[in-house]
Parts: sequence; structure tokens; C-alpha cells
Amino acid sequence: MGKQLFLILSVLLLTGCGEQTWRTTDISGAMPELNFNLTDEHGHAVTADDYRGKSTLLFFGFTNCPDVCPTTLAQLAGAVKLLSEDVRKDLQVLFVSVDPARDDPATLRRYTDVFGPRFIGLTGDRAALDALTGRYSTTYSYGEKDESGNYDVSHSSAVFAFNREGDVRLLIRASDPVEAVAEDLRQLSQDS
Amino acid sequence: MGLKRRVIYGLLLCMFAATAVADALSVTDARLRLLPGDLPVAGYFRLINEGDDSVVLSGAESSAFEHVTMHQSTQVDGMAGMEPVPELELAPDGAIEFLPGGYHLMLMKRRSPIEFGAEVPVTLIFADGQRLSVQFQAVSPAAM
Repeated sequence: MGKQLFLILSVLLLTGCGEQTWRTTDISGAMPELNFNLTDEHGHAVTADDYRGKSTLLFFGFTNCPDVCPTTLAQLAGAVKLLSEDVRKDLQVLFVSVDPARDDPATLRRYTDVFGPRFIGLTGDRAALDALTGRYSTTYSYGEKDESGNYDVSHSSAVFAFNREGDVRLLIRASDPVEAVAEDLRQLSQDS
Repeated sequence: MGLKRRVIYGLLLCMFAATAVADALSVTDARLRLLPGDLPVAGYFRLINEGDDSVVLSGAESSAFEHVTMHQSTQVDGMAGMEPVPELELAPDGAIEFLPGGYHLMLMKRRSPIEFGAEVPVTLIFADGQRLSVQFQAVSPAAM
């Protein structure tokens, strides 16, 4: 509750003096800059520094998620489609799987490729995932396994957006129209 | 009227009644959002009941998948999850939308690979024993 209040106050304070107007939710300054140690979809160890220099969208999910994850990624893919080539090549979408037991690099690569070349799959061990989700005040948890071993994973429903320096800027929600997301991504590419 | 004729009339009446009930239910916009490999697939559609009675959708099955279940995506305190939906009641002259972010069929374990554009048979099952066969089109998740 205290954390939420702080977040809301920070957002109000910062939106009051900023000159930018965003159509999705501005969270500039309310959360720390992008930082992580994970494994990419080619099996290489990576850090947030490897992704500096481009606008970055961060989404937590899992590939066995039939509805919410593909819906969110399709929303982002739809917005990416509306961008000019210049803006598009300046953008990357990091899909961080919080289900490393099922999402190996090959599965992640095949999955993110469906949504386009801007989509990159990452995952890590529990400690690395706990550190990253905790950093953005969110969490994840596993449901019970059914008779065929399948289980649901609950995860943050929002997408976090960072500028090319890795500073946090926006929270994009499922309810945000694709046009609004595209407009903010254009503005984000100018942001530094 | 002889017994034989009465039986035939009876049978005809039964057949007509069954057809009338089946005609009361229809499905549009049926599509499967196909993910790569053997990942679970979501099925979306609009189910319309033009009949005078309410019906209860109690499940679905498909010859193309080993398991089909009904689910609803949930959002609680910024966390996304999903829960099983055992049945859904559809009022007379009512419609139910299975849409991204809401109700969806979850189809698991493909019996053979499915290509984009393929027509996949799915049967919707109702609590009163009615069955409605529908062709779902396999589409790219990026296209929705």
C-alpha cells in the first residue's frame, strides 16, 4: 500500500513538471533503470547493458500461456507495424519468461520469432527472475500441476517501457489502444 | 393410421425437433491462435443462441487435440492469470464472446502439426447433450 501510494505521488509529481505528454501511463522516475542478468534465446548470458542504445519494452510471461501473453505481444506487434522503419529499428521487445523450467532458449526463440524480429526472448534462474521482477515491484507464481503436468503461471499483466539509456518511462496496459502505444513508441525513440 | 405410420411420423417429428434445436445455436468468427511447436493454443469465437430456451455450454473437444478446456483470463492487482470455466449459461437470444483477454478455449497436445490457414474441427458440447460442430481457422498470433 505504501509502495503504491509512493508510486502514485511520484507519478503525479513528475507528470506535473514534465513537458512530454504520453498516452499510456507515465512512470518516469518512479522505478529504477533497467538492470538484469539473464540468458538470451541463443543461450548466451546477457545483461541490461547489452540492450542499451535502443528503446526497450519489457514484458514478463511464459510460452505455455495461450491467451494473455500472445494477446499482449500481438498488441505490441500491431503497434510496431504502425511505426516507420527508422523508429522500428530503434526498438526491442524483451519477453522475459518466468517459467524457465519449460522455456529453454530454443522454445523462446521460436516463440518470439512469430511476433517479429524486434522480439527477443530471455529467461534466467529463480534468483535472477526474482531480482528483476522485484525491481519493478511485481512478482510471479506457479499454479498446481494438472494430471498431464501442465500448470498456469501468474505474472505481471503490464509492459514496462524504457528509453535508450534504460531509464523507465511508461507502463503499457492491455486496455491501451494500438495507436496510442505506437504514438508513445515514436516519442520514446526521441527520448533521452 | 397404422402403427408403422405412427412410428414414422414420430421419428420425423423427433428429427425435425432436433434440427430446430441445433439451428438455434450458431457460431461466427471461430479462429485458433496458433503458437509454434506444441504450445497450447487459444480458440476464440462468438456463440449465438437464437432459441427460446437458455443453453449451457459445458465444454468442447477436437479430433486435432488431446485436451480442450474452457478458461477465463483474470487480472487481479496487475497480475494476469487464468481459471477454468466449468460451464457457461447462454440466455435465449443471447450471445457469448470468447475473445483475447477473456473467455477462451485452451487446446493442448496437437495430434498432428497444424499450418496457418488450416480449418480445424472443434465440437462445442452443451449440458443437455447437444453438440455443435464448428470449423476453426488457424491464424497467426501476430495477426490478431
